[in-house]
Amino acid sequence: MKSKLAISLSVSAAVFSLVAPAQAQDAARVAAQVCSSCHGPRGDSISPGFPKIGGQRADYLEAQLKAFRDRTRADPMAQAYMWGMTSQLSDDMIKQLAAFYSGQKPPKGKTGDPKLVQAGKSIFEGGIPQAKVPPCSTCHGANAEGNAGFPRLAGQHAEYLVKQLVLFKSSQRAGGNAVLMHNISTEMSFDQMESVAAFLASK
Amino acid sequence: METHFGAVFKLAGALGAMIVGLCFSGAAEAVPSYARQTGVACQGCHTVFPELTPFGRSFKLNGYQIDNLPQVQGMRSPQDYDLLLNQTPPLSFMFQTSYTKTKTALPDSQSPADNAQNGQVLFPQQASLFYAGRIAPGLGAFVQITYDSEAGNVHWDNTDIRYAKQVAGLQDPLTWGITLNNNPTVQDAWNSTPAWQTPFDQKTSAAPVPGAATQIDGTLAGRGVAGLTAYAWWRNSIYGELGLYRSAPQGVGGTAGSGPLDSASGGVLTNWAPYWRLAYEHQWDKNSLMVGAYGMTSKISPASFGGPPPTTIVPVGSATDKFTDTALDAQYQFIGDQHIFSLQTTYIKEKQNLDGSFGLGLSQNASNDLKTYRLGGSWYYERNYGAGLGYFSTSGSSDNVLYAPTSVNGFANGSPNSNGWIGELDYVPWQNVKILLQYTAYQKFNGASTNYDGNGRNAKDNNTTYLLAWFAF
Repeated sequence: MKSKLAISLSVSAAVFSLVAPAQAQDAARVAAQVCSSCHGPRGDSISPGFPKIGGQRADYLEAQLKAFRDRTRADPMAQAYMWGMTSQLSDDMIKQLAAFYSGQKPPKGKTGDPKLVQAGKSIFEGGIPQAKVPPCSTCHGANAEGNAGFPRLAGQHAEYLVKQLVLFKSSQRAGGNAVLMHNISTEMSFDQMESVAAFLASK
Repeated sequence: METHFGAVFKLAGALGAMIVGLCFSGAAEAVPSYARQTGVACQGCHTVFPELTPFGRSFKLNGYQIDNLPQVQGMRSPQDYDLLLNQTPPLSFMFQTSYTKTKTALPDSQSPADNAQNGQVLFPQQASLFYAGRIAPGLGAFVQITYDSEAGNVHWDNTDIRYAKQVAGLQDPLTWGITLNNNPTVQDAWNSTPAWQTPFDQKTSAAPVPGAATQIDGTLAGRGVAGLTAYAWWRNSIYGELGLYRSAPQGVGGTAGSGPLDSASGGVLTNWAPYWRLAYEHQWDKNSLMVGAYGMTSKISPASFGGPPPTTIVPVGSATDKFTDTALDAQYQFIGDQHIFSLQTTYIKEKQNLDGSFGLGLSQNASNDLKTYRLGGSWYYERNYGAGLGYFSTSGSSDNVLYAPTSVNGFANGSPNSNGWIGELDYVPWQNVKILLQYTAYQKFNGASTNYDGNGRNAKDNNTTYLLAWFAF
């Protein structure tokens, strides 16, 4: 686990170092003046309406910011908030912001209902064969730390995760890898979504 | 002469109350040009307009800066802009139309034995033009110009022009700013202070309202003031503000025609009135709780009326009353996807040192106090349907000269006490349109439940049904 985390951090650091210092400062300024209003000063949002993005995978953040800007991610919150927020972002600024947030400290897990957490752990590690749900860890990493374009889920707000699963299931969140999540979530019950979200939020 | 002087003072007081009611009758901090500028839907900044969310508070305290529109820009050096203007000017329009009915018709102004028509349509009640958005890097504005159908004129309304800057490189965010504004608390970011308190923010201008109000509760703003305040906001949590206000009435001038103010003006601030504000906000999960305090000390020329004899002339500063307002407030919000709850409350205590008025025979007592308490809550379902309930109370020292009997707007027993309830139902078919039905029930009005004005009118006769359609675009 430590080695994966170290690799993840070093990859983030490498990405970050590619960005010229002045540009990185510009991203930090935009993050402080704009993004922090909802996502918190270091990407550690308080309200579960807004995801925690500190320590998130840079490539995932970059893809999402572009999807907001291009309006290919079109769930209700995306339309209400992120379409406008990203409309004037250049590819370069998107890369800088993604690097900035991926370089922040990942969120700490919050203790949840032990029964839900246990049921969620089972889904995360073993999937739900009868519902054709593969183990989440396959793509999101053994510790839900994310992997390449697949986001970090550990420590995320449970309510946000449930909302995304519902959006994937209903295809309201589409574009990019969303089709994978649509297929995975189609047979999931709401209780199962809550369980796996509780487990991930506790990590 | 004194009787005449007193009558003029009371008339001025009534006019002052009317001006307060007319000029600042509508809170309208819900401006689509902010949505156009930021690209964020109204729900980003408002639970339901005009109440602000934590994001809305951040947007306001950071100087209305977030911008996602193509810009006309000028640059001194890389990243140092000396011009950033939206290619589309941040203009908005607001239109309010209403219907008002009191439980008992008001007496005819020309023939008191008869009644006026009961059921007043105002079209518009208020129509406003706003410039609301960024002016320059760090500098932003909320400027409102209003046509008021009751007054039949256009007047300068709520204005807040502010510069804000975040201190770079700190572990925890720190924003500081300065604001130029014309209504103490209009610059405030919470909806528990007088300028924006919900559900008391929207009321009719076609029904009687209680006559006694503290200075910070709209009285000074109605007379016309200008303030410069500086604030700091740390960790999105601790807020402190200090500033000074000075008289700046509209349409009033002395010898020069547009000022300086002299004995031709009434209720002039004779000092730079200090204003202060402290607040602490804690956010957790979908909740936020703010507890705060605010206040102001104003020295005011009690009355200055010019004109032909026998009117008494009171030069500015020759007699002064001192009002010390100290207030507590609190706000709780729960902002869920389906349900939104909020609760706002404030308690204002005003100590009135009336040396100036007393010496001129304009008050019975040399000192009085006046206290106002309001508590209101609202609930919205999917930002679509809502309901609100509020309690209000004003009480204070009795003063038979200051609070004198006149028909409808007077006080028969010299007591300023009023209290009652407001209930409201809201329908928000679109994020920028609100239709509300409001009922105000008075238990006590201007000092009494029955025959409060000495002309046989009871408090409940002023119970008001108010239907408002509010469009912001």
